[in-house]
Amino acid sequence: MEFDYTKDKIVIRDKVISALDKFALDFTKSLSKYANYVIVSGYVAILFGRNRNSEDIDVFVERIDFDRFKRFWIEISKNFECINTRDVKAAYWEYLSSGISLRFSKKKTFIPNIELKFPKMELDYWSLSERKKVLLDDHQLFIAPLELQIPFKLYLGSEKDIEDAKHIYGVFKDKLNLVLLHDFNRKFKTLDLFNRYLK
Amino acid sequence: MKKKLPRVDLKELKKLKEDNFRERLEFIDKYVEWLKKTPNKEWSSQQKELID
Repeated sequence: MEFDYTKDKIVIRDKVISALDKFALDFTKSLSKYANYVIVSGYVAILFGRNRNSEDIDVFVERIDFDRFKRFWIEISKNFECINTRDVKAAYWEYLSSGISLRFSKKKTFIPNIELKFPKMELDYWSLSERKKVLLDDHQLFIAPLELQIPFKLYLGSEKDIEDAKHIYGVFKDKLNLVLLHDFNRKFKTLDLFNRYLK
Repeated sequence: MKKKLPRVDLKELKKLKEDNFRERLEFIDKYVEWLKKTPNKEWSSQQKELID
């Protein structure tokens, strides 16, 4: 894997785009016209080469007002549909604003889907404000900092999550801010898991 | 007549599960090693085949 890694962005050239990549790129291209967002899920590991598929892609979107959300809804509805509801007011007020995720899939499909949510915890806001740009040739995506993703995956703790963490750490270990990574390991109490499985 | 079911040794299964996990982690180390020296076009073509 060839990539350029700087503080704010990761550039990957010549990646052959998979159906899952295209799904994520199509959705986030529309979303980015209306709001800042950050991808926080296992898709981040897949984006960087992990050989597995995923049913959903978790996305935090900054808290936008209803009018802006409605404009996004009109655009996204051209190619995607919301699995939870067809009503834009319900989507905004009864789901997003009430702390419940919205799920969007391509029309007439169910999987994969985007799980879209407003940030709730301080951690979610931090992921958004510190998001990192990923450039895939002409396409771009924003992901949560890897120094957070790795300990968070360890905290989630399923075998799949630990494998994702190991993959991301293995690929980027020479580039990561290890002080920040271990600060998060301490906060999540995942230092033992990190030492046992990732080192 | 009721069929005789096989004995289930949970201790043995637990060890099997742990061994599987450890082997998968070792595989990730090897895969990442390969990934890092493989051109983007090549690894991502293989990944696309798996995902699509």
